[in-house]
Amino acid sequence: MLTILGKASRYCDGVSRRGFLRIGGLSMGAGAFTLADLYRAEAASSDPRPHKALINIFLAGGPPHQDMWEIKTEAPSEIRGEFRPIKTNVPGIEICEVFKNLAGLMDKAAVIRSVVGCRGGHDAYQCMSGWEQNSLQSIGGRPSIGSSISKLYGPVDPSVPPFIGLAQPTKHGPWAHPGKAGFLGSAHGPFKPDGPGMANMTLNGISIDRLSDRRKLLQEVDTLRRDIDITGTMEGMDAFGQRALDVLTSSKLVDALDLSKEDPKIVQRYGDGKPYQYQYDGAPTCNEQLLMARRLIEAGARVVSLSYGRWDSHGQNFDLVRDHGGKLDQCLSALIEDLDSRGMLDDVTIAVWGEFGRTPKINKNAGRDHWNRVSCAYLAGGGMRTGQAIGATNRLGEEPSERPVHMQEVVATLYHNLGIDTSSVAIVDPTGRPQYLVDHEPIGELI
Amino acid sequence: MSRCCMLSTSSSGRGRLTIAGRRGAGHRSQRRHRGMIAHPFKIALLVLLLCGNASASELVSLRIENQAGDEAKSFAATTLVGRDARLQLLVTGELSDGSQLDWTHQVNYAAEPPGIADINDSGLVTPLANGSVTITAKSENGKAAQATLQVTGFDQNAAVSFPSQVAPIFTKLGCNGGGCHGKASGQNGFKLSLLGFEPQADYERLIKESRSRRMSLAAPDQSLLLLKATNVSPHGGGQRLDRDSHEYRLIRRWISQGMPYGSGDEPQVVSIDVFPDQRRLGKTDSQQLAVVATYSDDSTEDVTQATVYESNDTEMADVTPSGLVKLQNMVGDVAVMARYQGHVTAFRADIPLGATDNWTEDQWPEPRNVIDQFVYQKLKSLGIPPAPECDDATYLRRVTLDIAGRLPTLAEVQQFQQDTRENKRETLVDRLLDSDDYAHYFARKWSTILRNRRTSGSLQLPNLAFHRWIRESIRENKPYDLFVRELMTASGSMISNPPVAWFKQVPDTNQRVEDAAQLFLGQRIQCARCHHHPYEKWSQKNYAQLSAFFTLVSTKTNGDPNEPAFFSRVGGAAARHPKTNQSLPPAGLDSAELSVPSTDDPRVHLADWMTDPENPFFARSLANRYWKHFMGRGIVEPEDDMRVTNPPSNPELLDAMAQSFVESGYDIKSLVRMICRSRVYSSAADANEDNLGDRRSYSRFYPKRLQAEVLLDAVNQVTLSTTPFAGMPAGTRAIELPDTGFSSYFLDVFGEPNSATACECERSQEANLAQSLHLLNSDEMQKKLAADGGRAAKLAADGRSDEDKVRELYLIALSRQPQPAELTAAINYLAAKENKREAYEDVVWTLVNSKEFMFNH
Repeated sequence: MLTILGKASRYCDGVSRRGFLRIGGLSMGAGAFTLADLYRAEAASSDPRPHKALINIFLAGGPPHQDMWEIKTEAPSEIRGEFRPIKTNVPGIEICEVFKNLAGLMDKAAVIRSVVGCRGGHDAYQCMSGWEQNSLQSIGGRPSIGSSISKLYGPVDPSVPPFIGLAQPTKHGPWAHPGKAGFLGSAHGPFKPDGPGMANMTLNGISIDRLSDRRKLLQEVDTLRRDIDITGTMEGMDAFGQRALDVLTSSKLVDALDLSKEDPKIVQRYGDGKPYQYQYDGAPTCNEQLLMARRLIEAGARVVSLSYGRWDSHGQNFDLVRDHGGKLDQCLSALIEDLDSRGMLDDVTIAVWGEFGRTPKINKNAGRDHWNRVSCAYLAGGGMRTGQAIGATNRLGEEPSERPVHMQEVVATLYHNLGIDTSSVAIVDPTGRPQYLVDHEPIGELI
Repeated sequence: MSRCCMLSTSSSGRGRLTIAGRRGAGHRSQRRHRGMIAHPFKIALLVLLLCGNASASELVSLRIENQAGDEAKSFAATTLVGRDARLQLLVTGELSDGSQLDWTHQVNYAAEPPGIADINDSGLVTPLANGSVTITAKSENGKAAQATLQVTGFDQNAAVSFPSQVAPIFTKLGCNGGGCHGKASGQNGFKLSLLGFEPQADYERLIKESRSRRMSLAAPDQSLLLLKATNVSPHGGGQRLDRDSHEYRLIRRWISQGMPYGSGDEPQVVSIDVFPDQRRLGKTDSQQLAVVATYSDDSTEDVTQATVYESNDTEMADVTPSGLVKLQNMVGDVAVMARYQGHVTAFRADIPLGATDNWTEDQWPEPRNVIDQFVYQKLKSLGIPPAPECDDATYLRRVTLDIAGRLPTLAEVQQFQQDTRENKRETLVDRLLDSDDYAHYFARKWSTILRNRRTSGSLQLPNLAFHRWIRESIRENKPYDLFVRELMTASGSMISNPPVAWFKQVPDTNQRVEDAAQLFLGQRIQCARCHHHPYEKWSQKNYAQLSAFFTLVSTKTNGDPNEPAFFSRVGGAAARHPKTNQSLPPAGLDSAELSVPSTDDPRVHLADWMTDPENPFFARSLANRYWKHFMGRGIVEPEDDMRVTNPPSNPELLDAMAQSFVESGYDIKSLVRMICRSRVYSSAADANEDNLGDRRSYSRFYPKRLQAEVLLDAVNQVTLSTTPFAGMPAGTRAIELPDTGFSSYFLDVFGEPNSATACECERSQEANLAQSLHLLNSDEMQKKLAADGGRAAKLAADGRSDEDKVRELYLIALSRQPQPAELTAAINYLAAKENKREAYEDVVWTLVNSKEFMFNH
């Protein structure tokens, strides 16, 4: 009998499932992919090489770039702030003292201290797609990285969607958007573990025995010749129908979201990020989602996005970074070590970044305000040349003093790590025009 | 002979002999062959039989097509001018059965006298010295042909021209594509114009930018351009050029000459021609193409190697960069596009099956109208047999779904079965066309591509008004030219004149001109906004002139900013060319410039041009769109991309339908009648061995998937349930929805479009896992199946026998009686279950999850 119902997917925020269903009602469903994808996936599943994947961790609100990976020790105190730099295991690279565990893993990561091109809006759009929200709006907008990958590669395992968005609904909605499908249409949108697509993955109101009886009867009467369909759709529907019935009896996806199936020691190593603080209208610091992301990728997901914390530190900036940063240090270091010990780190890229940076000058509430002239990013794994700090800001942390890196260069690097040549791969939009994924090239220092 | 030759002479019969043999008895023997091949004795017998009666099909003569002064039969590319010239020979073999086949790659070439020209195995000639040279091509069985070529200008070190010789190399090698140096921002600091349409700008960038480091006059081989292209200096695009290639030598020589741009007044390419332009070929045959450019000074040049080729169906044919077309193992027709310097042309190949070659005229169905006439003409020519006519039950379901967007009711099914009138199918079509459902269903279709889309969460009055206007136009069968005219020239407010909503939904001039061209002319001109597209004939000038019709459209608000009124300003209609900034008067596509009086609304002139009976796009586009709706595949596919490089699969059919549509006064219902009454439309979907592989000749009916709204309504009809839509009265069906903004997971997952574009392609008809899960397992489906007032509950409570009830259920869901095996399966299933209501739920579930239910076949 079926044992996959119920509390498989965990919502560490304590928001009720009903609430999710309502808010997530528009989200799209399970593994919406095509017959060609299915065949590709089945061909790929016989490929012993692990698939390339991305975990895109959005630090909603805009983390203070000068309190993360580059401490401005030479700036005056009203700018410098409370943090001191600590040494890392890569000589010459220092990062903020709250990232004690990450300091010991610097050789497996790269920090970019000079990210530019931030539009300045409070949303995940650029981190998820590389584009500003108004680009190609008239035809539905630009697809996010996960949607493009869904379109280009399809699923690894046909019963696990290639693109999964774990972000839970936030009061400020745009911080929770896991990446849009844009002009690719909802079939390539993120699978959300709270939408009807998920509900359809567990049996609704009938027993497994009854499903099995229905299935037998269907086989007897569903005899229309399949090869008369010149589009091949009938055969595709059969293939997906078979997969769907398999999913209902055993779901890798549902299992992947169920952390009770994980080694408790590992769960503990990631931590739970509680108590949630400074959350307001943003996402909680839900450490477990990073572990879920790893489990989903093992199950076959290619891109997992999530929203971690609320970094919009207009007040109490330093307390917030101590809280969020310390928790992030725990789960992110756990994720890197975990992927490394499983031999997955070369294939999985982790990106950790926000929509913009924060003002150099500390305001009267010990906070920092919006600053889109420079931002920062933390990248790990993915077969990159890690152990680097790229770029720098000027003495006051106002703008890049060397090697400005456009947000699209970061996204191009992520595509590159996923095996996409952004100079040649284009997706045809509904007007028939080929659209390239980004306009910038990958970061040469990293690839 | 056929395969037997291949089998019997396989050790000695290298290369062409086998192919020559295969050509002989055609493809029928190959098919007959298929089931037998396993048995050696049978093969031997077949060899005997076939060899015995096959007298024909050897190569009887060869012909080199390159002959001076014989343009009617072949082509006149016989002169190589200058040391960079190249020339493709084409050799055709004639077989004893009269068929012609490309022999270019299967002959030995010899040149006399030696030293004038060099020829490789593919028939590519390069010059060595000035003079006249006689080429002899000889086949293995000793047939020979000759041609005389002239080499001139070899000794003159003529200046290489950048625009006509160097820039095309960048196009051929893909350097100036949209993903590389051709994109707006260039690539790694080096930008070229997209697809080489601005050679002057490319020249400036190459020569002057980056402190001229891209070129080295002193050491041409050290030029960054060549180092990068050969990947000697690491190049993101990899190696594009071989040091030992024609292109490398040409660029190198151009550099060593001091990189001249050219005189600036060199002749321009005015057209290109591909040879042959059409051929009838066999499966897996190949055909070498040659392309000749004609210049503004009437000179011609072989540009075969510099041309870019693309097959319109790679499952049917591939093409190499040097123009060798290789057919796959399929019958039908295929086109290969060739483009050079902004000009395009296409080669078309027919690959006949030949299965009806021995048919007598009375074996073919009697044509009922022009549709039958031209479809059967094509089928005859390809030798593909048409499927028999479908039965009444299938026809009723098919035409009801296609015209009314719903399943036939039980009463309709029973009535149609009992109807014995000869013309009952015609009467049915008329009845459906007069029904509300026809208006609803086609209003849904048009409303979606006319972008009737709400701007915020709730349904708005203008959306309702626009939808109603579309629906009523369809219901009253407003002539299509009038429908388009009212849309294109709409003025006033959305409430007083609903088609104005289109101007609100499609907010700027560019989108309006692009939508209008795609919707009503079948032309996608959006590319031409920024550049001349290589697959299209439209230039930026064409685009600007078409958009000039819309430039006077303005809005004013009478107090309510949400309810603007649209009007046409008084003034001179004109648009600026984006590159030259020249002000251009309005002009239709392929049409003369108009001078529109400043007091006229230029859109009226646009509507006049569009709806003119002579307009080559307007009626064809609608005919093709409706053909696709009913027949599942456009004569041009996709239906709204009718560019020159995407030719119709049956041009005569398209022309005849368009002509008939014009003559009817743009009467859409009469077009629908013509399609639905044709013998072609009523063909069975089932295939036999001969027409199974046919994918675009309409030898049978191609099954179509029910679209999202129709499927949802059909599920509701069968389960006796409804789906609530916010703001709409209870019982509203999905095809009646005024816009696409209603929240429905079912519709989303089955591919309902968002009305974001004018493209029918926004509607996705692909299968996916989420659909299967939803139909097989969702809470929504289970509720419909198990509802108290639902079909299963009713049937369970019904006192009739299970057999009677199953028969009725089949009539309701599939419009037909169950087959004995289906009936038995269902009855046994019901008998084995104690809970009758659940058992009926299961049977209904089974029917709605069957492919037959989900398809219109």
